[in-house]
Amino acid sequence: MKRIRNFSVIAHIDHGKSTLADRFIQICGGLSDREMESQVLDSMELERERGITIKAQTAALSYRSTDGHTYQLNLIDTPGHVDFSYEVSRSLSACEGALLVVDASQGVEAQTVANCYTAIEQGVEVIPVLNKVDLPSAEPERVIEEIEEVIGIPAEDAIRASAKTGAGVRDILEAVIVRVPPPTGDPDASLKALIIDSWFDNYVGVIMLVRIVDGVLKPKDRIMLMSSEVTYQCEQVGVFTPRSENRDQLTAGEVGFVIAGIKELKSAMVGDTVTLTARPAAEALPGFKEIKPQVFAGLYPVEANEYEALRDALEKLQLNDASLRFEPETSQALGFGFRCGFLGLLHMDIVQERLEREYGMNLITTAPTVVYQVLLRDGSVIEVENPSRLPDVGKIDEIREPIITATILVPQDYVGPVMTLCNGKRGLQKNMQYMGHQVMLTYELPLNEVVLDFFDRLKSVSRGYASLDYEFKEFRADDLCKLDILINGDRVDALSLIVHRASAQSRGREVASRMRKLIPRQMFDVAVQAAVGAQIIARENVKALRKNVLAKCYGGDITRKKKLLEKQKAGKRRMKQVGTVEIPQEAFLAILQVENK
Amino acid sequence: MSPGTVHLEALPPLSIYVHIPWCVRKCPYCDFNSHEAREDIPESAYIDALISDLESTLPSVWGRTVHSIFIGGGTPSLLAPESIERLLLALRARVMLLPDAEITLEANPGTVEAARFDGFRTAGVTRLSVGVQSLNAQHLRALGRIHDVPQAQAAIEAARSCFENINVDLMYALPDQTLEQALSDVRGVLEYAPQHVSAYHLTIEPNTYFHRYPPQLPDHDAAAEMQQAIESLLASHGYDHYETSAFAQPGHRCRHNLNYWQFGDYLGIGAGAHSKLSFPDRITRQMRYKQPSEYLRRMVAGEAIQTSNVVPANDLPVEFMMNALRLTNGVERRMFSERTGLPITAVTTRLAQAVEAGLLVDSAERLRATLKGQRFLNDLLALFVEST
Repeated sequence: MKRIRNFSVIAHIDHGKSTLADRFIQICGGLSDREMESQVLDSMELERERGITIKAQTAALSYRSTDGHTYQLNLIDTPGHVDFSYEVSRSLSACEGALLVVDASQGVEAQTVANCYTAIEQGVEVIPVLNKVDLPSAEPERVIEEIEEVIGIPAEDAIRASAKTGAGVRDILEAVIVRVPPPTGDPDASLKALIIDSWFDNYVGVIMLVRIVDGVLKPKDRIMLMSSEVTYQCEQVGVFTPRSENRDQLTAGEVGFVIAGIKELKSAMVGDTVTLTARPAAEALPGFKEIKPQVFAGLYPVEANEYEALRDALEKLQLNDASLRFEPETSQALGFGFRCGFLGLLHMDIVQERLEREYGMNLITTAPTVVYQVLLRDGSVIEVENPSRLPDVGKIDEIREPIITATILVPQDYVGPVMTLCNGKRGLQKNMQYMGHQVMLTYELPLNEVVLDFFDRLKSVSRGYASLDYEFKEFRADDLCKLDILINGDRVDALSLIVHRASAQSRGREVASRMRKLIPRQMFDVAVQAAVGAQIIARENVKALRKNVLAKCYGGDITRKKKLLEKQKAGKRRMKQVGTVEIPQEAFLAILQVENK
Repeated sequence: MSPGTVHLEALPPLSIYVHIPWCVRKCPYCDFNSHEAREDIPESAYIDALISDLESTLPSVWGRTVHSIFIGGGTPSLLAPESIERLLLALRARVMLLPDAEITLEANPGTVEAARFDGFRTAGVTRLSVGVQSLNAQHLRALGRIHDVPQAQAAIEAARSCFENINVDLMYALPDQTLEQALSDVRGVLEYAPQHVSAYHLTIEPNTYFHRYPPQLPDHDAAAEMQQAIESLLASHGYDHYETSAFAQPGHRCRHNLNYWQFGDYLGIGAGAHSKLSFPDRITRQMRYKQPSEYLRRMVAGEAIQTSNVVPANDLPVEFMMNALRLTNGVERRMFSERTGLPITAVTTRLAQAVEAGLLVDSAERLRATLKGQRFLNDLLALFVEST
């Protein structure tokens, strides 16, 4: 056990984590050159395109140190986005060490800080690494100062490296051996294994990635998941190098995979503890919680007859994504669809894109919303995930919205615009701290405002330098109301929003004006109205077209003109018919893009 | 939806279209099969080829009477009257042409052409269609026309004096055109009281110069204004607006084009010409090779048809409607099954939808687009487009 090191890498998107992981694997001969595809750990196509890691992955590397011994280094990859902070915390709790990788030309970002704090809280040894020191714009001294000021750990001996050129990469591995303590744990105690990650494989069912804290796990052992107390027969254990290699057993201190004939991903949730039924552990490992979706949106097939196909696609996605929730929902405007729950906006984006790309679905997505708690006059409290389902105003005593604590790290030059943005989003400033060249702002913000377009706007007012991390704080009552959109007098349920009463007027105007630009002119006038209750607060008119007819059609033209008609018709199919009005898909997201003046 | 099998009780009237694929210069809006005549046109060889073309196709129209001939282009008036005469004589010798058949020739309003008009009449042409397009110097230039305003006026005058039946082509919604200028063009043409006027909304087609370099055109509303004003002006001068872009004095509708719009048959000969020919159990479309040189080469070898296919029964309803509903007064309802060979039940659901949408009048006798249906013909036709 003293030759094992479990470590992960904390880094912001684009700071070079995946490239660094590739270098480690190359040095340790985990894959032959032929197998060495760039950035092997980010295996999903989407991850590769977006340069982010969505699921934690791992590699057990065999490294021959300069001290003459061969060590088993278990690299546990962590997701690098705020939506997946729970998964990060579970990955970190399976490690004794973490590399804090900071881009030497960019500096520290909020997400990194949050993850680093999580690591420090869990007693993980943090080793600072400056990456991309080969870039002309690299400022290692400034970044070292920043790490010390912002995160508060000594960084003068931070390792300078370049994952791209390979410089300093061996130094990092040596530092892992020297500075990261070997795992502790009792191989003779009852089995306690932490599920770091789990995913679905078409051939073997659920694969769990675990860290064995105590005890030993072998194939044919009868295992139990402690949160549900359901038992399974362990079939295979092994490690990833990053190829999977079966082993006879996994022992305390090790990280590896377990296959136990589990059919559903939700039975093997991240953070749960695996033990043996024959000799169960007295208590589960701490920190397990069921993750709840924070952001909700309706997903509707453009063609009503694709409803079943959408259900199938969502079910298949859920096999591999236990945090995705969905239930059938009916909209007067959009027909049959699903209300889906996501961890955050990125998660929503990813699900939407996978449905479109991998399952060929043609979707209409309604604007994302959060869960509201509604206190009714009769004293009961209900949760509302869909603004159109808000009960009658007369029955409501108060509406409570989720509030988050947001930590924003921003260079001094952009503090002003960022504060203006937060105030405009009903933010309450809780703290402001100067740390070197950066400022750490702490705000309480309604999550509702954040899911709209906060992140994009934060990036735009700070030229991309500001970074954000947040956590749920509480539900808080405020003067909220429902904003409805009416098209030719009909309320379109899929376009309803819950907004603060003070901004209802301006939001209504913006949404109506944006809808006017997005709805194409049709055979008749289309009136777009915004209303709060019975009161119309904004009105826009999409003027009717005057004609839509081909000027000429003679003998030779017919085939070509017919193609033109087919094209026009196909264009219409991508729109949703609401009453007699054709509304393009983008219009349902128009609500998102307001205020981008 | 399966419309059933095609079964035609009788074959529809047959017309002949002859394509002359050359122009002095290609216009920037034109997407027809026309080629700039850089050297002398192989006039005689081309007439020979047209005659062989007809002969090789005769078996497919054997015994059928021909109701009209249309010589279009390109610029047919580039050909000498003698060539046209030779062509028409050859046609009369090989097909049964109705005694009062309409024989139209398209002419460019240039000075050289105008001098030939009388010759065309002697050759047997009964109707001349003059491609005036505009009577405004600025717009003629913008359209890349080679004639000027006085030439155009002289040409219309010459056409009127040589023929009892002429058409003048006009376009509106031209680059930077105002409503007043559009009306002024129409008034200028009305001075010569042509029997027929075609007024087209300038459309930017793919594969044209204008598509690559879009000119500044009047917007949708301005163009629609022009259309309505032009329609009223022509109506007040006794012209019957009988098709989307066609206006005629009583008794002077273009019979050849009416045959297209009533889903009749046509045999197209010449480079790139299209044909639609019906048989008791099928309707076919053919196209000749488009490049003049290739057409000539193929014709020497005895075969110029590049593509020939049976129209799928699924496509027939929309093809029929695309034509029939362009006619202001529509068509007789029975014509649907007569001309497509399909039962009317193949479209009854869609007809009902169109009526419901206020786009169609479906009486026992006729199918006809409402005024709204005429203005929004594409939306009406979309109901008949097969989902792919």
